[in-house]
Amino acid sequence: MHIDARTLPNGSVLEADLCIVGAGAAGISMALEWIGSPRTVLLLEGGGLEYEPAMQDLYRGESVGLPYYPLQAARLHYFGGTTGHWAGFCSTLDPIDFDKRDWVPHSGWPLRREELDPFYARAQPLLELGPYEYAAGDWQRRDPTLVPLPLDPRVMWTKMWQFSPPTRFGTRYRDAVIGARNVHLYTHANVCELEANESLGAIEGLRVRTLDGKEHRARARYYVLACCSIQNARLLLASNRRTPTGLGNAHDLVGRFFMEHLEIPSGHLALAPSHAVNTKLYAFEFGQTKARGELALSAAVQSNQRVLNGTVSLEPGAPDEEAQSTFQWGTPERLKTMRERKALGKAAPPPAKSPLFFHLMTRQEQAPNPDSRVMLSTERDALDVPRAKLAWRLTELDRRSFRVFYEVMGRELGRSGVGRVQLLDWVSRDDGTWPSTLSGGWHHMGTTRMHDNPRFGVVDATCRVHGLDNLYVAGASVYPTGGAANPTLTLVALSLRLSDHLKRTLA
Amino acid sequence: MDRRQFLDVTASSALVAGLPAAFNLHALAQPDLLPILGPEAVREIGVRYRELVPAENQRQALHAAILAARPWSARVPWLAGPSIGAMVAEDFAAGRTMVVQGWVLSTTEARQSALYSMLAA
Repeated sequence: MHIDARTLPNGSVLEADLCIVGAGAAGISMALEWIGSPRTVLLLEGGGLEYEPAMQDLYRGESVGLPYYPLQAARLHYFGGTTGHWAGFCSTLDPIDFDKRDWVPHSGWPLRREELDPFYARAQPLLELGPYEYAAGDWQRRDPTLVPLPLDPRVMWTKMWQFSPPTRFGTRYRDAVIGARNVHLYTHANVCELEANESLGAIEGLRVRTLDGKEHRARARYYVLACCSIQNARLLLASNRRTPTGLGNAHDLVGRFFMEHLEIPSGHLALAPSHAVNTKLYAFEFGQTKARGELALSAAVQSNQRVLNGTVSLEPGAPDEEAQSTFQWGTPERLKTMRERKALGKAAPPPAKSPLFFHLMTRQEQAPNPDSRVMLSTERDALDVPRAKLAWRLTELDRRSFRVFYEVMGRELGRSGVGRVQLLDWVSRDDGTWPSTLSGGWHHMGTTRMHDNPRFGVVDATCRVHGLDNLYVAGASVYPTGGAANPTLTLVALSLRLSDHLKRTLA
Repeated sequence: MDRRQFLDVTASSALVAGLPAAFNLHALAQPDLLPILGPEAVREIGVRYRELVPAENQRQALHAAILAARPWSARVPWLAGPSIGAMVAEDFAAGRTMVVQGWVLSTTEARQSALYSMLAA
């Protein structure tokens, strides 16, 4: 069922067993799980079914830290959420990502990778991916021409990615959600405040506003915030009627530990022609490639060298080309050409011969940093909610990890005879500065981090907000660390896990 | 150059006359890097290496340093020592690397590049 909240009489009360705030990858994944169940579900989406500039403007905000993308461009505010412009890169977090690493302050998840495996497997079809297989050997068995580089597994390994078409949740699952009798989708229903009870132990209701001036209330037994990392934190902080620091924020953690993936061109690889290395496994063609490998440091090397997790992709190029970040590369002209070719069912022309020279693009996790944070701005949006203010900040560990990665990789690719690695100037420098090509992957994580102890985390291992009996958080905001993998697969897996938990709780 | 290095170089120099052809000065000045990076990049690496290690900014010093870096077995005439390619691989495995012009190189091939910049450029 779908209702535009603007058509409701002012002051309407929406009621259900479960209320999910936000209809992006997390919210829709959860809602789909409840279709046909005996429970009623409210799915509240602030935007409409399509992109609308006025709705998108509600996501505008300030940026006061390192240069960052305009906040209104970094996520999408309509049904389907940011899957409306994602690229479809999917991989799992590694076992080491869940560990408490003594060289990475604030690291460690209150769950193990094995606990997520069944949910990863369930998330694969939702994202229209292949089988739940992320070992290079699995893909080599399917296609013997996909050969991993001959690396010493004690030093480096090939981490696999799979590629979603990419699934646009807003179009792919629109009919299923709207057709579900027990899932009530309200669009243009912007949650502006979570109202806690007097003891601050539970949520009593949500204040929902529309841009045309109406205000409604949503009530449910359980609530799930599934907006996005910036918006989840913003809503908790802005819900400060009863407690000035906002809800779930008794220990000043909400909004802190904002993380990105650092995606930066960092070096070059020149292959040794005499070895004729096959790099097909590492090639990527948007819309065509089902899986590809990237190079990663082993867990043992990360531990010995006391560095962060990351991976490096191989982008064929020429030595005299200037490397570009993902978003420098994606110029409007180039994207237009890609869309035109895709519409015509054409792939890019195959390379004339196997490339011998590659630009190396790093995707590295960001060290959890309490000073990298989302706060409230003094400016308010059209619904009178304080806008988000982002201070994206990095640490010395983030910087040092790049250099170590490239030096280790240079030695291993030299030892194995694959070729030689060149560090870009900024990687070689030890001055702590970042290059102008510094960019994130548009991956927002960590503002309501997960920890068993409320002094160190906003949500517990079930994703319930500490201190609030009936409020949960879904999405990448619960990640204590971000690993090297793009966040979508993991956030969908966690949403399915949360959905199972709530089904048991409501039973 | 400390005393040990001096003795190593001296001992190696004494064996130069009996070296395999692959270890003569002109053969060493043709590093395996050439087909990977091209002559211009190798020359630049060589020039930069000589700036970084001024004590080896002479062909004989470079030659001696490469020979001195060989394992002991290579210095015994009746034992077959490693090839220069094996020395490079062993450098990488043992972490005897340096970053020159941004490239992560084995110390041996960096010295070879320096020789190349002197003899072939």
